[in-house]
Amino acid sequence: MLRNYIQIALRTLWKNKVFSLINILGLAVGMACCLLILLYVQHELSYDTHNDRSKDLYRLVTEFVTEAKTEKAPTCAAPVAAAVKNEFPEVEEVTRVFIPFSEDKAIFKRMARGKAQQSFYESKGAFADPTFFNLFTYEFLEGSTKHALEQPNSVVISEEIARKLYGTNAALNQVIRISSSNGDMDFKITGVFRPAGPSHIDSHYFMSLSSGDIGEFVRNTQDFASNNMFFTYLKLRPGVEAKSLEAKFPAFIEKYMGKDLKRVAFKKNQYLESVPRIHLYTDAETIFNKKGNIQFVYILITVALFTLVIACINFMNLSTARSGKRAAEVGIRKVMGAEKETLIGQFLGESMLISLMALVLAIFLVEVSLPLFNSIAGTDLSISFTKDYTKLFLFLGLALITGILAGSYPAFYLSSFNPAQVLKSKASNSLAAINLRKALVVFQFALSIILILGSLVIWRQMDFLQHQDLGFVKDQQLVIPLRTNLAKEHYTTFKQAIEKNSEVVSAAAATSYPGIFVAGDQTFYREGKTVENGVTLRMNHVNYDFMETMGFHKISGRFFSPQFPADTAQRIIINEHAVAKLGYTPQSVLGKTLHWNGSEGRLDYQVVGVVKDFNFAGLQKPIDNFGFILAPWGLNYMVVRTNTAKVSRLLTSLENTWKTFNPEEPFEYSFLDQDFQRNYETEQKMGTLISYFTTIAILIACLGLYGLAAFTAEQKIKEIGVRKVLGASITNIVGLLSRDFMKLVLIAYLIAVPASWFLMDQWLQEFAYRTELSWWLFAGAGFIAFLIALATVSSQTIRAALVNPVKSLKSE
Amino acid sequence: MIQIKNLRKVYRTEEIETTALDHVNVEIADGEFVAIMGPSGCGKSTLLNVLGMLDNPSTGEYNFWGEEISKYSERQRAKLRKGNIGFVFQSFNLIDELTVYENVELPLLYLGKSAAERKELVETVLTRMNIMHRKDHFPQQLSGGQQQRVAIARAVVAKPKLILADEPTGNLDSTNGEEVMKLLQQLNEEGTTIIMVTHSPYDANYSHRIINLFDGHVVTENVNTKFHI
Repeated sequence: MLRNYIQIALRTLWKNKVFSLINILGLAVGMACCLLILLYVQHELSYDTHNDRSKDLYRLVTEFVTEAKTEKAPTCAAPVAAAVKNEFPEVEEVTRVFIPFSEDKAIFKRMARGKAQQSFYESKGAFADPTFFNLFTYEFLEGSTKHALEQPNSVVISEEIARKLYGTNAALNQVIRISSSNGDMDFKITGVFRPAGPSHIDSHYFMSLSSGDIGEFVRNTQDFASNNMFFTYLKLRPGVEAKSLEAKFPAFIEKYMGKDLKRVAFKKNQYLESVPRIHLYTDAETIFNKKGNIQFVYILITVALFTLVIACINFMNLSTARSGKRAAEVGIRKVMGAEKETLIGQFLGESMLISLMALVLAIFLVEVSLPLFNSIAGTDLSISFTKDYTKLFLFLGLALITGILAGSYPAFYLSSFNPAQVLKSKASNSLAAINLRKALVVFQFALSIILILGSLVIWRQMDFLQHQDLGFVKDQQLVIPLRTNLAKEHYTTFKQAIEKNSEVVSAAAATSYPGIFVAGDQTFYREGKTVENGVTLRMNHVNYDFMETMGFHKISGRFFSPQFPADTAQRIIINEHAVAKLGYTPQSVLGKTLHWNGSEGRLDYQVVGVVKDFNFAGLQKPIDNFGFILAPWGLNYMVVRTNTAKVSRLLTSLENTWKTFNPEEPFEYSFLDQDFQRNYETEQKMGTLISYFTTIAILIACLGLYGLAAFTAEQKIKEIGVRKVLGASITNIVGLLSRDFMKLVLIAYLIAVPASWFLMDQWLQEFAYRTELSWWLFAGAGFIAFLIALATVSSQTIRAALVNPVKSLKSE
Repeated sequence: MIQIKNLRKVYRTEEIETTALDHVNVEIADGEFVAIMGPSGCGKSTLLNVLGMLDNPSTGEYNFWGEEISKYSERQRAKLRKGNIGFVFQSFNLIDELTVYENVELPLLYLGKSAAERKELVETVLTRMNIMHRKDHFPQQLSGGQQQRVAIARAVVAKPKLILADEPTGNLDSTNGEEVMKLLQQLNEEGTTIIMVTHSPYDANYSHRIINLFDGHVVTENVNTKFHI
């Protein structure tokens, strides 16, 4: 029987090549979209699941509570880890990770006879406790996880770094120099690793936390309140509930942190965050790794489902529209004794077969489009079934679901034919079936219009973000990182040298610049008040000319200047937002003293200027309190304002000057506008992917519409002939045939507009600054949908209208 | 034996009600060859559909070999139909996508016969119908007469008690038509009950008895004295 079914299915497919092609191609493209997104989602969900006992791993999150606000951070003070382990027997192991946040790269040098034989930049370096590899699973190619980070100045490097340094030779026990703003330090390589799976910890090398200045700090500090800069991870004993441990934290905080917290005047709460959930779900700020975005995952899943549903609707519509062709077969089979269930099985089997064929084509399409997808999504996905059998099951599962989704309605519809009727006359589609088909076309186009509108709104929002006045000059600004002490030492002379170049307007340095993470913050309070009434300001340490180079607008007072030598002694410039929060006006705040309680006592800062509010982070975030202090240290970046269109010539000149001062250090630069734009990477990624998927979904919907239009034209060939004989023009005929389809698109549009307005409004709420959902976006989407639908339908209707009526009436 | 009593079949749409069969009483004995005649729209095919269990009567009784089946569900009818009734249609109703062999094999598949048994039965019947040499051809590759022989082969392959033929020669020329009628006669002589709907008095003469229908009523029931030998 199965052979019979397969034979008839294959022969039917072959006989109706155009419709089969539309069905298989549509399903294949829909499935390919789904497969790509399934691969992506599978990858996103797999973060940190490879770790041994990953469900027992937690990150300790700190919540800082002041009167003004509550903020979460994924880090703790240094002594917290040891205290947690001592206090709670439920905790099996703890480890800390520290990221030197003032720099994103360090220079690796392979030394010989006191000279660098090879030097290159490496990013994503972390300091970690020796217990790190007890919690997190890494594949060690050289060395052992047990003792790798026990000794000070030991480093575990990635396979890639090892290859760069030593090729195929062993890297173990070799000594390398890592130069950064922490100075030049020699490290002994105690391990070479390969990541065992995707992790929120994406470090390229791990240095022992007992090394250098940070080691010194960690060993000596007993402050539980300040310097919350250590990522602290716990491994709970099997069976321990995180909630029950969390319930004990308030008493723990009181016992260990109470005294220190009184000094800084804020409260703390500690929470546990499941490690496998960090990548997608954490709402804590992190500088550790690019966070995933669960909303993005949901949106992609929705888009994938939309695309697949649109493809399945094509299948349903074409199958039921062409049911007349299969009706006789149904009648004969029933006459021969086939029961309804047997026929349902047969037709479902057929749709499964088609979806399996579509799967083969879909896998090919996925293979072809993966490089493009990877480049947009920033992933490294592949579909190697030999490495991962789950993918094969995932793919087959999708084919099965698609087959059932697409085939069940046609199967029930076809199998319900009355044999007596269908054998006597050609089966015509019932009114209910025709109406359902119309409803499905409406649904299909509503989904397509929602996708078009989604793409338009994302594009508009991105455009809005790009052209929003940020409160500073972001164009024609070069950023040169000053990573090593040598680079910092040469800063002044380098600045003087390049400012001689007429294409350089000015140059200045700072700890941070708008667009990248601002690590430092300090809580200031007014004269006569206490720290409890303080306002926390994000802080940037800057040098002379920074404010001018960045193009910040002065509201009152002045910017830092060498003409005021006292500026080096605790003078501060704050933004309007902070002025208002402190309860001053831009004029009244000038000359006022702001107090700050440091670990060594109170320091007083005099306000010398007020800067107009500016966006130091992406426009998802609102403007916050900000302060600038003149400091000769911690200047990690140099910003160079230029006035030339010939950037490459200027860069060559800057590099040459750089080499005269820092011969061993590679010259690196970035463009400030691009760095700022990186804050919208996720949104841009989403926008690009959705626009691709939208195009595909519309193409599939059009494919279905094309099929239906062809079918309708075929059905109405006699009517067209009669009308033409009676004097109808080609335009009349095209209008007649197109009108019905256009009505459906209009209904789809009316459904899609409120639905997409609601969805996109929700999405825009994520941004502190957002574009308006203008009427023309909706009109534009409608126009695009109508145009595409009309073009698709017209190709068929015009062809039908051009047929000689003599021929069509005769053939009838 | 088939017995129908007071059988009515009414078709209803939203606006009109059409009585296709009105208080029809018919008895057909085992081994009989009965022709049903009448003008177009008199209810011949409706009667044949009810007799073939493709449709249920609106009211009345239908006794099929001792079983009252007028209220049977579609599933029950399908179960009883398979193996017991063979159908021959005017337009042959072969499945275009299946070969001659596969078309004839179809009823046996639904009866769950083994592959070996199917092969033997199909080849026997195809040889008997003199169409074995065309077993791998598709219906469109055959002449009308050949197609109808395939349809008869399909109707008889499961050795049913009853064959229902709906104008079996309607689409054939006289030579092929006669050949088909002779085949039916032969099957009847071998013991198969045959009920045939026809417009052709010539074909009707192959039957033992002729039932004339008019406007859904049985108007006459004559024993055919002139049947072809």
